[in-house]
Amino acid sequence: MDMEVSRSWRDPELWVKALPSVVLQTTCFLAPLVMTFILTFQKTQNFQLNWTWSLATWTDVFTKPHYWTILGHTLFMAVACVVVCIIIAFPIAYGLATRFKRLDNEIKVLITFAFITDATLKTFGWVLFLDKKGAANYLLAHLGFPAETVAFLFTDWATLLGMVYNLLPFAIFTIYLSIDNIDRSLILAAYDAGASKFRAFWEVTLPLSRPGIWAGSVLIFLLGVGVFLEPKVLGGGKSPMSAELIRQTFETRVNWPLGAALTLVLMVVAIFVVLLFSRVAGMRRAGA
Amino acid sequence: MNHRFESALANVILYGSMVAVLVFFYVPIFTLIAFSFQEGRFLTLPFDGVSLKWYGALFQSGAALTALWNSTLIAVFATVFATAIGTMAAIVAVRYRFKGKRAFQGLAGAPLAFPQLLLGIVLLLWFSVLGRWFGFNTGIVTAIIGHIVYIAPFAMVIVAVQVYNFDPVLEDAARDCGASSWDVYRHVTIPLLWPGIFSAAIFAFLLSWGNFYITYSLAGSTRTIPTFIFSGIAVGSSPLYPAIATVVFIPGILLVILANRFRLRAARAG
Repeated sequence: MDMEVSRSWRDPELWVKALPSVVLQTTCFLAPLVMTFILTFQKTQNFQLNWTWSLATWTDVFTKPHYWTILGHTLFMAVACVVVCIIIAFPIAYGLATRFKRLDNEIKVLITFAFITDATLKTFGWVLFLDKKGAANYLLAHLGFPAETVAFLFTDWATLLGMVYNLLPFAIFTIYLSIDNIDRSLILAAYDAGASKFRAFWEVTLPLSRPGIWAGSVLIFLLGVGVFLEPKVLGGGKSPMSAELIRQTFETRVNWPLGAALTLVLMVVAIFVVLLFSRVAGMRRAGA
Repeated sequence: MNHRFESALANVILYGSMVAVLVFFYVPIFTLIAFSFQEGRFLTLPFDGVSLKWYGALFQSGAALTALWNSTLIAVFATVFATAIGTMAAIVAVRYRFKGKRAFQGLAGAPLAFPQLLLGIVLLLWFSVLGRWFGFNTGIVTAIIGHIVYIAPFAMVIVAVQVYNFDPVLEDAARDCGASSWDVYRHVTIPLLWPGIFSAAIFAFLLSWGNFYITYSLAGSTRTIPTFIFSGIAVGSSPLYPAIATVVFIPGILLVILANRFRLRAARAG
C-alpha cells in the first residue's frame, strides 16, 4: 500500500498544514540560532550589549584553557552516561519486547510516568534519598551498616546517577522500538538452522537492534552535554559542566557574546563527536 | 550450554534487571512522597512525627498556588498550539510526497535533539533583542512560545505513528461519495486520528507542566511549579516542597494511564 500522495507546494492541502511548523521553527529556532552566531561577533560594555563587530569574544574563547577543561569534562560525563544508559536499557528493552507480555502495559505506564514527571522534582527526590541524613543512610543504619555509608552526594558520581536516571528512558524507548520491529521469523530461522538461543540472540537480534542503540546513544549524548540541573543540584555545583558555565556567563557576568559563543562551541563540538562516532561505526561495519 | 539452562539464565537476568530498574525509577518519587508527611521543619530522618500539616501549609501558600496556576495556564496554551501544529506536521511528514520533504522533517523535528537549556538560552537571547527593539519583556507569553517550539515536535512524532497506521482509502472513499475536503477532515481524518491526537495532547500537557529548563530561561519573573521548587531547593527546603511534588504526581499518573488507554484503543483500531 502506497501511503504517500504527491503534492505541490501550491496545493493548499500541503502548505496550510506545513506552514505553522515552518514558520514556528524558522522564527523561533533557526533565526535565534543565526542571531546567536552573529552575537558572538559583538562587544559588551558595562554589562550592555554594544553592536560593534569584534573578534574579542572568540579570541577569549580560544585562549582560555578553563573553558575547554570544562567542555572536556562535560563530554566525558555525557559519554559515560551514554554507556551506562545503553547497558542498563538493553535488557529492559529486550525483556519488554520479548517477555512480560501480561504486565507489558503496566510496566510501560510506570516507565512513562517516571519519565514524564518533572525532572526538578525527581532530582530533588534523589537529594533527599542520598543525603547524609537521608533515606538511604537511615535504611542502611537500620540494617546494621555504619552511619553515613552512602556519602557520594555532591560528587561527580551523584551527577552521573542523576543524568542516567533522567535520560535512561530515551534509550529504553528507542531500543525497544527497534527490537519490537525485528521479524520473529528471522530468529526462528536461526533456531531451525541449529543456533542456540544465545547464538541466535548474538547473531540476529543484537545486530538488528543496532539502529535503536545508535539512535538512543545520539539522543542521550546530545541531551547529556546540555544538563544543568544534575551537576548543580546533585553535584553540588563543585565541578561545573558547560551548561552551568554558559548559564553563569549570561546571569552573573552578563556577557551575552561570550555566552553565545560558548553555546555554539558546545553544540558544534557535540555534533562533531556524533559525526566522528558514526564515521567510526560505519567503517567498522563496512570492514566486518 | 543447553537450551533449558540458557532460558533460565536469560529469565533471571531479564526479570531481575526489570525489577531493579523499576525500583531505581521510583526511589526518588517515593522518597518525596514519604518526606511530605514529615511533621518537623527539616528534611532529615528520623521524622519528628507524621502529619499532613505541610499539605495545609501548601494550600495557604500564595506563592505555591500562583506557581500551580501559572504552570497550568502555560501548559493549556502550549498543549493546544503544540498539538495542532504537530498534528498538521505529522500528516505532511508521513502522507505527502513533495519537494523538500527531508528538509521539512528535519526542521519540524529539530528541537527534539537540542538540549533544552540551550534552546531556552538561545530563545532568551532572541526575545531579549526583539524585546529591546519592540519594547516587551520576557514573561508568560514568551514561556508559552518556548514550550510550543520544544513540544510541537514531540506531538508530531506521536501523531505520526497514528497517521502511519491510517488507511488513506477511507478518505478517498469519502471524497468519491462527494464529500468536500473539509468534510473529509471533520468526519473521517480527525476521528480516525483522534486517539493519536489525544495522547499527543496529554504528553504535551505533561511535558509543558513539568518543564524546568525553558520556563527558567523564558518566564521572566513568573514562577511555575518546577522553577518554584528549584528556588526552594536552593534556599534550604521544608517539607512544603515534597508536599507540592506529591500533589503534582496525582494528576500526572492519571493522565499517563489515560494516554495509555487511548494508545491501546488506537492500536486495536489500526
